[in-house]
Amino acid sequence: MNGHVKNMHFQQFMETAATLLSLLLLMTVDSTKTVALSTNQQCGNLLQQTLKITRIVHKESGDLIKTYKAAQGEMSELFCKVSVNDIPDPNISGLDPPARIASIYTHLQAFLPHFKRVYKQQTDLQSPGSPLLKELTRVWGRTESLASFMNTFYQSLFPNLPIPEPAGGPTTLPPAQNVFQQKVYGCVVLKTYKDFMSNVSKELRNLKSKVCTKRTPINAF
Amino acid sequence: ISDIFFYFYDYHLVIAPQSPVVQIGSNLTAICMINNTTEVTADDLYWKLSEIIPKEHYIKINSSALNVTVTIRSEKSEWLFCSCKTESHYVVLNRGKFTHGIWLRKGYRPEKPKNLSCIAVQESDTISSNIKCQWEAVGHQTEAVPTNYTLFIRQTGDKIYTASILGPVNKTTVDLNLFPHHMELEIWVVAQNELGKEESEHLIKLANCFVKTKPPSVAVISEAVFPTSLVMSWNSSIDKSYLETIYEIRFCPLGSQKWFYVPLADTSRYIQSFRLQNLQPDTVYVTQVRCKYNNNNKHCGYWSDWSSNVTERTPEDLPKSKPDVWIITSEEGLNKRQIEFICKDPEFSNGRIRRFNIMIEKQKDSIRNGTWEIIPVNRSLTDGSSSKKQITPLKTITLDDEESVTVYVTAINSVGASPQAKLIISRKTREPPAVEKTEVQSHNGQLFLSWKPPNRTVSEYVVEWVSDGERNWQRENGKTNYTAIKGDLKQFVQYRISVYPIYGKLVGKPVLERAYFEQGVPSQGPIVNLSGDPGCYTAKLEWDEIPLIKRRGFITNYTIYYRSGTETRGITVPANTTSYILTSLSRNTKYDIWIKASTIRGSVNGSNHSFTTLKYAPGEIEGIVVGVSLGFLFVVLMTMLLCFCKKDVIKDNFWPQIPNPGDSTIGNWSPDYPLKAEAPRENCLSGISVLNVDVCDAKCVFEEDKASLPLKKDKYLSEEHSSGIGGSSCMSSPRQSVSDSDEGGDMADTTASTIQYSSVVASSGYKGQNPSSLPQQSIFSRSESTQPLLDCEENHDTMVQEGSRQCFLRQPCFTHNAGNENATDSNDFNPLEMEQQEVLDFCPLEEDTEHTAPADCQSDDWIPAPVSSYMPQLGGYRPQ
Repeated sequence: MNGHVKNMHFQQFMETAATLLSLLLLMTVDSTKTVALSTNQQCGNLLQQTLKITRIVHKESGDLIKTYKAAQGEMSELFCKVSVNDIPDPNISGLDPPARIASIYTHLQAFLPHFKRVYKQQTDLQSPGSPLLKELTRVWGRTESLASFMNTFYQSLFPNLPIPEPAGGPTTLPPAQNVFQQKVYGCVVLKTYKDFMSNVSKELRNLKSKVCTKRTPINAF
Repeated sequence: ISDIFFYFYDYHLVIAPQSPVVQIGSNLTAICMINNTTEVTADDLYWKLSEIIPKEHYIKINSSALNVTVTIRSEKSEWLFCSCKTESHYVVLNRGKFTHGIWLRKGYRPEKPKNLSCIAVQESDTISSNIKCQWEAVGHQTEAVPTNYTLFIRQTGDKIYTASILGPVNKTTVDLNLFPHHMELEIWVVAQNELGKEESEHLIKLANCFVKTKPPSVAVISEAVFPTSLVMSWNSSIDKSYLETIYEIRFCPLGSQKWFYVPLADTSRYIQSFRLQNLQPDTVYVTQVRCKYNNNNKHCGYWSDWSSNVTERTPEDLPKSKPDVWIITSEEGLNKRQIEFICKDPEFSNGRIRRFNIMIEKQKDSIRNGTWEIIPVNRSLTDGSSSKKQITPLKTITLDDEESVTVYVTAINSVGASPQAKLIISRKTREPPAVEKTEVQSHNGQLFLSWKPPNRTVSEYVVEWVSDGERNWQRENGKTNYTAIKGDLKQFVQYRISVYPIYGKLVGKPVLERAYFEQGVPSQGPIVNLSGDPGCYTAKLEWDEIPLIKRRGFITNYTIYYRSGTETRGITVPANTTSYILTSLSRNTKYDIWIKASTIRGSVNGSNHSFTTLKYAPGEIEGIVVGVSLGFLFVVLMTMLLCFCKKDVIKDNFWPQIPNPGDSTIGNWSPDYPLKAEAPRENCLSGISVLNVDVCDAKCVFEEDKASLPLKKDKYLSEEHSSGIGGSSCMSSPRQSVSDSDEGGDMADTTASTIQYSSVVASSGYKGQNPSSLPQQSIFSRSESTQPLLDCEENHDTMVQEGSRQCFLRQPCFTHNAGNENATDSNDFNPLEMEQQEVLDFCPLEEDTEHTAPADCQSDDWIPAPVSSYMPQLGGYRPQ
């Protein structure tokens, strides 16, 4: 009888411990979920913010091309159809999200010298108060800002991965050009940039589901 | 301190610290050190701020250092001196080395700026890169220690933009080059001066939360199939990629001041169109939209301004209510009425009423016998609300007092017809009862009408008001007994307000009241005129009532003013008076009159009118003339009566009994005779007795007189007294009387021709009748002459020489006359004698002149008289 009683006490103790253990386990899991949710939300916010800025740049680059064509006179439509070397590729490279985000960042950095050169060329071709110069300045500045933000975004998502600089050293610029070549060059740069920004928008939309919905094995590399 | 000593090596007193910035309200501790001298000690030092600081604030550190602690209270910067009071020779000679001062710059510690806010406004199609921020600067600052404010804006990526501004300014602008849409900004302000540094709270928001965009551009369309809705659409003023906006919509009927807001829950998302519902058909609405950054329903950012008004009219719909039909009744001959049916559009006409259909039925027929008549409405397309106020005359009929009719009216717009309105006009003799005890009051900018309901159940009341040909009415529930006139009443206009009870559809008797919405002072005074002519003491005034449009209120009374000179009097008469008789006026006085008309709001004077009262009342002059005439006549009659009664007395007085000259003893008088015997005789006859005159001389004289006699003959009776001979008026009248006597013309002529001299005789003779007056005998002997003295003066000397002859020449005249007189009756001659006597009694000058004549003529024995007094008379006669 006593032994039975002892067994019952022990059984009750075990049930209570199991219950507490289950509860503790549940709380741990829930806490993990909360952290994950918080991280995902922050990721989503950053990604959303990046996407919005990208849309602005995309929109402004589209406006810039229209303004550019209007400012170049006749046959401006043909300028943009000519292929020019040493222009960054509008396509995003890389296989995984960090590589692709890094690719976006390096592309943005690569376009900056081209903007600078186009701005310099158009300063000679346009009057000082030209809308083209204003818009060019704006897109140029917006690109710098986006590149900076992309860096921040990358480092927040992948804090242990250094962001790569453009491969092959500084961006190579084409040699000296005549006015026609300058017009063609500027148009191609802007058009390529617009295409690039279009690709960035798509990429960021895709990244949203890949990066922010599940915990990324960030230390896998 | 060692640096200070080095710097002020040549000085014997040095203060530390040097030029401090001190906080107002805090304690300042300074130390004064004696340097490189033994002339003074710390006991010889003293401190001075604005005045010498008491010693209790000093702390002696050692023999060469003195400390002081003072509380800084004033804001004004000042010097703090450390000096030496020793007057040794060295100190006196080196006074500058024994005094040292520091300049105290005073200020306040900066405080934490509050309420930091920033805004970035839209320019063209983008947001400006300039962010304007302002804050509330807390605390004080002084000119000596100003506060510098620095605005910091840090955007994502740790890029920081700053802008600094000095002084009491509390706003500044930072240029970000590009507005960082979708990036987070951290903004704060640092207030800093030499006394400290304070930082405001940090504003951490998305950059779009600082944006104020332009309002969207709005368009509104209506759809015919939805008469109660409008579709609004708009374009955002800024691209969606920059920021998504939420919207707020408001609308109101045109002319209304009250906006209706669409709930934010329906528009708090990025939309570009919205359908307004439950609107009134055929009504113009005004719509507006504004927008604000949509931060996932987290309220941040600034609402844009409201967009400009966009108006649109909702489509028409069927009229939903009956037209408001009413009547205007007027008398039309004996036992007849003229009734005009008028109508207002239905309250919910839901469109422009194109026509009215009306049918009038005679009540005596049991079946509907009327036919519909179409009354087209020719009305311009205006706002629906204004068209509702318009009154459309439908039809006018003449109705016997014993007839009753029923009228049906419908209103038709472009969509269809309204429900039917009905009204019954009863027989005049059987009109339902009216309301009782109506009362009108103006209160709080409204005109209230109350009444006591009749005993019968009333379905509704019609309150009608009319003024200046304008008519309007409103309907009230049958259970109410008061209402406010809802029309647009004008000030100072008299309204005739009627209340009609409606029994079912039967129109009852009206009750009329007159009222003003607001009374004022009449714009014109009454014009006063006189009724007829004014009298001596009264005048009747008449004036017309002030025209209704200028009356501007109920006349409480009139005051009649009348003024003569500076005195003005006033008489107040009731408002229903239009004439008045002024009494107690003064005769022959000019009066100015005017009338003041008064309302409860004030008075106004009418035009002036002047009149003058009569000097004499009509008939007064005639009365006076008649009275005076009668009085004169009475006096004349009385005089005549008196004369008649007292004729004897009068006769005795005016024609006294004179003794007959014929009986006088003078007839025997002669110079040779004793004077005693001649005295009673008439002196004129004395000439007759002079018979010893030389005939020749007498003849000459006679001829001369005779020649002049015919010329004078006719004048003797009337003009002799005015001739040169008869210059004395004393002589004239008696001669006329003589000439009027019964004596013949010859007699008169004779008398007249001799009267110059005979009168002297008569006078003497008459006077000589008094036997006792002997001296008068000598006077009697003088010749009386009234000839002008002018000739006498001219021929004075000559006359004196010829005096005796002249006198002598006259004697034949008497002689001649005497011859004629002998034949006459001496009695007839008496009156002449009497008159001459009287006249001569009043001629003393002639008496004087008479004294000389007898002397020359009679004898040398006669008492000689002054020749000069007699001679001019002779000379003056000759020219005649």
